[in-house]
Amino acid sequence: MENVQAYIESGILELYVLGDISPEERLQVEEMAANHSEVKAEIGEIELSMEAFAETHAVETSELVKTKILNSLLVNLGDDKTFTKPRKHNSEEVFEDEVDNVIALPARRSNFYKYAFAACLTLLLISVYGIVNLYSKLQESSTQLTAMQLDKQKIANQVNVMDDELDIYRDTSYKVLKLKGVAKSPQSAMTLAWSPVTKKVVLDMHSVKLPAHDKQHQYQLWALVGGKPVDMGVFDLNTDTASVKQMKSIAMADAFAVTLEPAGGSAGPTLDQMVVMGGTK
Amino acid sequence: MSPKRKISLSEEELVLALRNREKIAVEALYDMYSASLFGVISRIITDTAIAEDVLQETFVKIWHSFSGYSAEKGRLFTWMVNIARNLSIDKIRSKDFKNQNKNQELENNVTFIDEQRNTVYKPELLGIRELVSTLKPEQKSILDLVYFKGYTHVEAAEELGVPLGTIKTRLRMAIQQLRKHFN
Repeated sequence: MENVQAYIESGILELYVLGDISPEERLQVEEMAANHSEVKAEIGEIELSMEAFAETHAVETSELVKTKILNSLLVNLGDDKTFTKPRKHNSEEVFEDEVDNVIALPARRSNFYKYAFAACLTLLLISVYGIVNLYSKLQESSTQLTAMQLDKQKIANQVNVMDDELDIYRDTSYKVLKLKGVAKSPQSAMTLAWSPVTKKVVLDMHSVKLPAHDKQHQYQLWALVGGKPVDMGVFDLNTDTASVKQMKSIAMADAFAVTLEPAGGSAGPTLDQMVVMGGTK
Repeated sequence: MSPKRKISLSEEELVLALRNREKIAVEALYDMYSASLFGVISRIITDTAIAEDVLQETFVKIWHSFSGYSAEKGRLFTWMVNIARNLSIDKIRSKDFKNQNKNQELENNVTFIDEQRNTVYKPELLGIRELVSTLKPEQKSILDLVYFKGYTHVEAAEELGVPLGTIKTRLRMAIQQLRKHFN
């Protein structure tokens, strides 16, 4: 009895009621309460006084809060009733009824979502396929467009060249000069057009009949002005494939001549490599 | 549901009805205990909106874990108020709460809140102010700390700078005082 009284006086029962106690101590208190009625009674007294103490500090909640909380609990209640009840019935009718209520509706709904999901997926796949298709077509057309633009440019360039060629015939100031082969290569010949007015010199590449040369050499055109050779630029039988080639400009010339020179041309003509020559008068 | 009429059952009837998940039990539970529980919660949490949230959490928890309550281990209110206090303490110790709220000074707590809210004064409880004044200051502060601020008695001993044994004695004395008052 002494012990029990000391236990009560220790203050542990108050902590027990306040929940401020370790699980081991809790078990101990519960055991004491089970074995000693005065401990149990003391706990009851403490609980009652704390309950009364809380009541003196009670704060009413608003109706709004009450409605909100009760609704949230009653929603749970509805669920609980639905899912915990159908254990103990004896009539089969009720059973079927409840099964219909509980299972059929969600099943139908989940089917709807299944179909909706499948439909969405199908639409998505079709759209992706369409987009990929369109994209590749777009790529194709833009490639074609680029190719056509290149073609167009090429043709425009060609037209420009042709125009230039035509100008030679239209422009009456042009003189067409035939350069004849010199003694060293009598078969050689070529034609050039020269306009003292516009100072332009244009080679007719189709008419060029000169011995073939290697890659280390190119033909160089010279103009003779007052007995002095003037560089008119080089031309290459292998790479100059256009039908005409414009050379450097000159206003006055007594004669034109062509010599074979190292690739890129020389400062002065190598006279023993001269292949054709022709006067302007 | 008439807002004026309050449902009241005996504790045994209420426990039985709660066990059977009856609708009336929910309303009775709320009518009988919400004000007391909210009084405790709103002294721990001074922000009304948060305190109301915690009250809701408390009722949801009571409802869901009602199977864990056993009448042999104590009164229903004791079990419920401990749930309410634990949820409140969890809330004020949670990070986001600490960031948005500073707790008020301890000293003025009871009277301050009583002035702030329309506390219910039931006729039989008119002696509350005398009650609080019959408690010695050290009894009042230990009750405030442990009951309304959510301190454990170990934390309260640290806060007040007194030995654990003294805390237990004071707490017991304070509750003895309450018992004398209510009987």
